[in-house]
Amino acid sequence: MSDYSLYPWQSEPWRALTANLARLPHALLLTGAAGIGKRRFAERLAASLLCESADRSAAPCGVCDGCRWFAAGNHPDFRVLAPQDADDEPAEDAKPAKKKSALITVDDIRELGDFVNLTAHRGGSRITLVYPAEAMNTAAANAFLKTLEEPPAGARFILVSHQWRRLLPTIRSRCRIFPLPTPAPELAARWLGEQGVVNPQLHLAHSGGAPLAALDDASAEWLPWRTKLLDALANPGGLDVIGLAAEYDRAKVEMTLIVDWLQKWVHDLVAFSMAGKVRYYPDRSEALARLAPRAAQLPRYAERLIDARRLASHPLNARLNIEALLYDYLAALKGAALKGERQ
Amino acid sequence: MAYQVLARKWRPKTFAQLVGQEHVIKALSNAFANERLHHAYLLTGTRGVGKTTIARIMAKALNCETGITAEPCGVCAACTQIDAGRFVDLLEIDAASNTGIDNIREVLDNAQYAPTAGRFKVYIIDEVHMLSKSAFNAMLKTLEEPPGHVKFILATTDPQKVPITVLSRCLQFSLRQMTPQQVSGHLHKVLDAEQIAFEPGALPILGHAANGSMRDALSLLDQAIAYGAGKVEEAGVRAMLGAVDQGYLFELLNALLARDGAALLATADSIAGRGLSFEAALGELSHLLQQIAVAQMVPGALADDLPAREAIMVLAAAMSPEDAQLYYQITLHGRRDLPLAPDEYAGFTMTLLRMLAFAPSDAVTLAQLPKPAAGDTGTPAPSSRHVAPQAAAPQPVVTAAAVAAPVPVPVPVPVPVPVPVPVPVPVPATSVASLPQDVPPWEEAQPATEPAPRAPYPDETASAEPPAPITVALFDGDWRALVVQLKLGAAGMLAQNAELTNWSKDHFELLVADAHRAVATRDFQDKLRDALSQHFDRPIQLHVQLGDAGGDTPAAQLLREKEQRQGEAEAEIQNDPFVQTLVRDFDATVLPDSIKPL
Repeated sequence: MSDYSLYPWQSEPWRALTANLARLPHALLLTGAAGIGKRRFAERLAASLLCESADRSAAPCGVCDGCRWFAAGNHPDFRVLAPQDADDEPAEDAKPAKKKSALITVDDIRELGDFVNLTAHRGGSRITLVYPAEAMNTAAANAFLKTLEEPPAGARFILVSHQWRRLLPTIRSRCRIFPLPTPAPELAARWLGEQGVVNPQLHLAHSGGAPLAALDDASAEWLPWRTKLLDALANPGGLDVIGLAAEYDRAKVEMTLIVDWLQKWVHDLVAFSMAGKVRYYPDRSEALARLAPRAAQLPRYAERLIDARRLASHPLNARLNIEALLYDYLAALKGAALKGERQ
Repeated sequence: MAYQVLARKWRPKTFAQLVGQEHVIKALSNAFANERLHHAYLLTGTRGVGKTTIARIMAKALNCETGITAEPCGVCAACTQIDAGRFVDLLEIDAASNTGIDNIREVLDNAQYAPTAGRFKVYIIDEVHMLSKSAFNAMLKTLEEPPGHVKFILATTDPQKVPITVLSRCLQFSLRQMTPQQVSGHLHKVLDAEQIAFEPGALPILGHAANGSMRDALSLLDQAIAYGAGKVEEAGVRAMLGAVDQGYLFELLNALLARDGAALLATADSIAGRGLSFEAALGELSHLLQQIAVAQMVPGALADDLPAREAIMVLAAAMSPEDAQLYYQITLHGRRDLPLAPDEYAGFTMTLLRMLAFAPSDAVTLAQLPKPAAGDTGTPAPSSRHVAPQAAAPQPVVTAAAVAAPVPVPVPVPVPVPVPVPVPVPVPATSVASLPQDVPPWEEAQPATEPAPRAPYPDETASAEPPAPITVALFDGDWRALVVQLKLGAAGMLAQNAELTNWSKDHFELLVADAHRAVATRDFQDKLRDALSQHFDRPIQLHVQLGDAGGDTPAAQLLREKEQRQGEAEAEIQNDPFVQTLVRDFDATVLPDSIKPL
């Protein structure tokens, strides 16, 4: 947590936000695509609000008590609200014994009450970072409403959201929204190059332009699984649905990832067949070109995938789910109507 | 010390300061003035319309030291303490945090004691929809007959979740959404009072974007002030909201009409390049499509001073009403599904491509549409069900049979397929199991599928269109063939279910069975007449009669032909030596329902 310098594409929004620090609202909602560095931006903002030196608008000083505490990760006036407090025990991430819960529950919000309602340890503001805000379930979000609207003096909230449209409208209306932009491709590619990524353009395409996601893309554990899935998709004639589904189920590849790859693949296929344009998988344009003539039923399959995405975090039987998705993919390529089609 | 957001700073403190909600305020003011007080009120409405605000003002009105009044003084101890949020007899309960029965019991246990300082003990229970069922039930008795010194004010955005037993014990007020005018008027006042420079043009935009909620509007205003570094400018507000220039929308629709996928995506790229919001783009697009639909149905209803009126009229003429409806539907769905796409760009482009893919091409008549795309238009397309995977064959068949068979009084002539060979697929699985079917279904189906799904695209269907219009002189009374050639849309249902009884050069008489009375509407008749006039290039009179039709309508013919083919196919299967062998040697049974003609 010690590193909260800005990414190169964030200096402009940072200036805009801190230009008038006095007018900063008590509830700020940072929005933008996943993987563009919103979290670090939010932490830097929190750090500079907790910094005790006189001039803090430009950057946290890094030498005062507040900054050092923050850097050590135990500032008493700073709270992170994340699913299952994933950040408190980073060691546990190393061996994911049980699946991480993806939700912020109502108990987390209730515990927050003590923190928000008591005065600050250092006499400054008390900052709560909610990351990501859409991880709050319905009960948690509702319980948060009253606190968020009229917190006691000095309490501030920074909400970070990848998908702010999934938030309750009542939450949204209580916050000032501050959108963070996705960086221009050249800038992002240059930065990725500096991080030692070999083929920045390709990874950027895979992640839809988000540089941090692209960095992840270049080194993630699941890379072979994606390659395998795309190989299979590109060759529907020899697609062994049952075997593949069993394999992915055994390896516990997350359903959200699989649906995401499928969605990107289908998007590329449809876009290629109708407009000759590839967005996510330019390295596979050959296979796309081969399959594109059969893409006529795929827009319908894309709707099916949207349904699947909605249910991706549900504890459904992963294997059956993958099988159903792949069979539907084959059926869609053949031009048949889908079984699981919604009305 | 700290900056307070506008929505909190400008929370109204008296009924007079409230914007909108006159219907509620009037009722409440009169009740307070006459001291006809209910003991439980329920305030409902969407976010940011003033539920909590009204509840607090009511608490002041009840407890003000000047007596129960519709105009609390705002200076007495009770009023100031309520404003500061520390009045002992005002209990504001966050029902979303205290959902359980124990929380509610604790609250209600204290209700019996007399108020400490004020006249009434006021319980404001906010977000009441989150209470658990048992908590609601625990409240019922107290809510029905509370002690004289207790008043309940419940507030929620979601009254459907409140049990009916609670609803019936409360006096319910539902707050309305604010109109954009009310919102922008209030913003005007706030900005004047805050002494912030602004351009008047910016306020209506904010008013629209707030979507009926004052708190949204004030949050947006905060954002706009920060964005414009202390000023509120029209251009800045537009940029902040990512409002999409209408020019892009027209480009999109034109590309759609031209079936130009590349142009469609290019426009999407330029929207992305300008950093505009895709959600706003979809919203604007559905708004524009709505206007187009209005222009098509009720041309006069479009306001004359609408800036894009000309362009809308042009599009309305170029687009069929069904297309407009379909596009509208798809944009709505696309907007809903936007958060579920891999990213917003993909969600947006996918929505556009879906419009392109599902659009019923002009040249395809109703009967030939693939089933799913027809969706809500209710196609009388008996054959389309079976078009599905294997065969492109049935599709041309309909046209071929209809056009190529000029029988004066169309008796069902069953010559549908050149070589009516039944497919071996429908033979029950028990017998097929041993067959050498090693070829994956994939490979087998491939050659046939290629042309079939692409049929709705213009390049293919264009060639299927009759090359030249037929003149009346050439019309030989083959109503069915004629119907296939007309571009009818939903009015095709009338044509399909009508029997041509008499015709002359410029006069057609149709007979519609009583059973199909519903399709013989004025609209459809007008549409059919127009289509006929256009087809023959002269004004045609159309006379539709209801009566006892003989069953020679195109729809009935299609049905009969289908049955005929079904019969032939079944006979073919029964007589097939291979099938007979299977039945004899393996004790197989033929399921008649599973036989489908090719």
